[in-house]
Amino acid sequence: MTKALDGLVVLDTTTEFWAALGVALLGDFGAHVIKIEPPSTRREANAGTWDHLNELANRNKLSLALDTEPAAGRAALEALVKKADIFVADRPIPDLEQRRLDYASLAALKPDLIYAHGSGYGPAGPDRDAPAIDELAAARTGIMPILQQPGQPPVYTEAGQMYSSVMLAFGVMAALRHRAQTGEGQQVNVSLFAGNMYGASLDIQAYLAMGGERFLQPVSRLDAGNPMSGVLYRASDGRWVTLTMPDTDRWWPDLAAITGLDVDDERFNSHEKRCEVNRLELLSTLEDAFSKQPSDHWRTELNARQMSADVIEDYGYPEGDRSAVRNRYIIDIEDERLGTLRSVGFPIHMSESPAELTKRAPTLGQHSAAVLSKTLGYSADEIAQLQTDGVIAGVSDG
Amino acid sequence: MANALDGIRVIDLTVWFQGPVAAQHLADFGAEVIKVERPQGGDLARGVRSIKAVPVGDWNQYFLVINRNKKSMAVDLKEAGGREILHKLVKESDVFLSNLSSENLAAWQLSYEELREINPRLVYAMNTGYGPFGEITKPSFDMTVQALTGLMARQGEPGQPPIYLGMGSGDAIGGLMAALGILIALQQRDVTGVGQYLDASLYGAQLFLGAPSLQGYLAGDKTLAQQRSRTDAPNPLWNMYEASDRWLMLCLENGDEHWSQLSGTLDDEALAGDERFATDTGRSGHHAELIAALDAAIANQTADEWMERWRPLGIPASPIGNLEELANDPQAWENDYFVETYCEEVQRDVNVRGLPVGLSKTPGSVRTLGPELGQHTEEILTETLGYSWEQVVELKEQGAIL
Repeated sequence: MTKALDGLVVLDTTTEFWAALGVALLGDFGAHVIKIEPPSTRREANAGTWDHLNELANRNKLSLALDTEPAAGRAALEALVKKADIFVADRPIPDLEQRRLDYASLAALKPDLIYAHGSGYGPAGPDRDAPAIDELAAARTGIMPILQQPGQPPVYTEAGQMYSSVMLAFGVMAALRHRAQTGEGQQVNVSLFAGNMYGASLDIQAYLAMGGERFLQPVSRLDAGNPMSGVLYRASDGRWVTLTMPDTDRWWPDLAAITGLDVDDERFNSHEKRCEVNRLELLSTLEDAFSKQPSDHWRTELNARQMSADVIEDYGYPEGDRSAVRNRYIIDIEDERLGTLRSVGFPIHMSESPAELTKRAPTLGQHSAAVLSKTLGYSADEIAQLQTDGVIAGVSDG
Repeated sequence: MANALDGIRVIDLTVWFQGPVAAQHLADFGAEVIKVERPQGGDLARGVRSIKAVPVGDWNQYFLVINRNKKSMAVDLKEAGGREILHKLVKESDVFLSNLSSENLAAWQLSYEELREINPRLVYAMNTGYGPFGEITKPSFDMTVQALTGLMARQGEPGQPPIYLGMGSGDAIGGLMAALGILIALQQRDVTGVGQYLDASLYGAQLFLGAPSLQGYLAGDKTLAQQRSRTDAPNPLWNMYEASDRWLMLCLENGDEHWSQLSGTLDDEALAGDERFATDTGRSGHHAELIAALDAAIANQTADEWMERWRPLGIPASPIGNLEELANDPQAWENDYFVETYCEEVQRDVNVRGLPVGLSKTPGSVRTLGPELGQHTEEILTETLGYSWEQVVELKEQGAIL
């Protein structure tokens, strides 16, 4: 079976989890990803434990431990760039310029190169070179102070960076399409700020268009805009039930039936009454109704009527969910020493060229010799010399 | 100017947010996206009247922004004439995208098996709720799927209700994931000449959204499934604090230099000299006490005052801003994360979320906001599919088109 991205060569110099994971999405579909790391890189995990985040972010990659500063290291890097389709970096641009790893320096070697850059805040503006820290990017998107219940501290979800990861891969693919049509390479820019903003799209766009205090403060769950959509009610066992039925006309008869309300109740018998005139009254009525039965009861009732609603679960649910495994959203990795490891898997299903785990995350420099010999044609002596000079690492002695 | 996705034609048979936003990413970069809608009212998102109980006002931004840069065709797929139009369009298209139920699609003869026969080069993309091998068949919306992933249960302070990651947060990742999958499948199609079926489900995409903590949970740290108080942050120097006027986020590694730098700004000599906090293990071992002490110290000044003290020292920190500040943030505007565009519906320029992915030579653009229902039906029938005007009139009479 051919893989979707067979033949594409990606040089990955990223240092941050989110950017490395964006590159892994390409490796999952068969791109030939060479991770270039300084020989001095330290891995965080202790011996005998599993470096699980590294495993995820660097799966399906080769590791070349290469110091690109000395002339011999630079020569190897330049030779690789000339054979590459895509180069990915996430250090600040001034740093990359100083190391001659910026777009202009590398495009001079390979004019149709696609150069993807991940930053904190994007390539323009006063903070273009500020450090890329997801918490700080999230703090700037306006969403953190409004997710929680009133009176509670703001919320940092960790999710913003994940949009940025996918954007990195998406931007590269769009640029590849353009290159295939025209032969032209270019720079792709993604940032944590943009990713966090995108994740909060609906609130942000609503505020841009409508404004108002309602988008600046947390809204109590018992003041939700639609008592049947985007709401939480507490069941008698303390667990939470959520409903998303924006089209209340369609679902009111079912909801009324399971909560013991009269479908013709004059307070609630139109969308306008439910969501505008008597909105707060319906919220408190449903709060009361849901508190009378345990969550299992509600799940049974909601599912029997195929309603868009469910009970809030924790990570134990997907961990134990057979369909999460069958869909390969969660995968098992067999490790000789550690046994079966469970990992986040592949979010995109493809019928003909599915994502695959072909290579575990590499150890530092695990493929230094292989990359230099197979991709660049270096001789064993040349490789040994680079190792002796400290330009590369990871090649075992003898 | 050339667009990155020039020449790609997408049939967008989607509703609400996840599917439409997937196609929007493609449309922003120049793909010709044809939104196919039912003649009776079209996409239900056209009917959104309020968000968070705030009336949408004179333009329905919810629908118009997600469906920007698209054409609209109003076709009744319950009519044979309507289905024939779709089959002809499939022959002329690169991508078919839907987030409707597979039962509906099969009833309208739009299953993958049928469309692949018509056009083997077609990339057939779905946004299902629970994945191709899922066992749940009920309708899926962002928050009800997010409920199952475990993402909500771990947010917020212990004892508080679970927290939704934000309106549309799950649809946003599902849509983006579908857009990525489509481009990957197109890349292969251009090499092999054969399309395929793909699915980026809400469930799968949202589990990926949780990767930073879900991966650790799967690796054995079960505490990651639970709510964790900010007063229990393992590194007190990387935490949020409430200044006298508002919250701020502080992001310092737990190092001695960092602590001496920070503690020197706090106007509290006792705290700076407290031996319990003098080493990294001391600070993490006494993290609750240190957080309490920092709470007290930071509450004495405004967030802006702390920024002025910390910025020259390079201490990474930021006030936790609100949407009003974001709307005026030059960083967002200068990077085209926000753009101004003309809205036909209200005959004036409006502010919309812009282009989160930048391509230096083929930047995306917001050319038009969402189309009117059926605005391009006739144009596509006559120009793309070669229908005669007589046939168009006949289809209208049959009720197959609007």
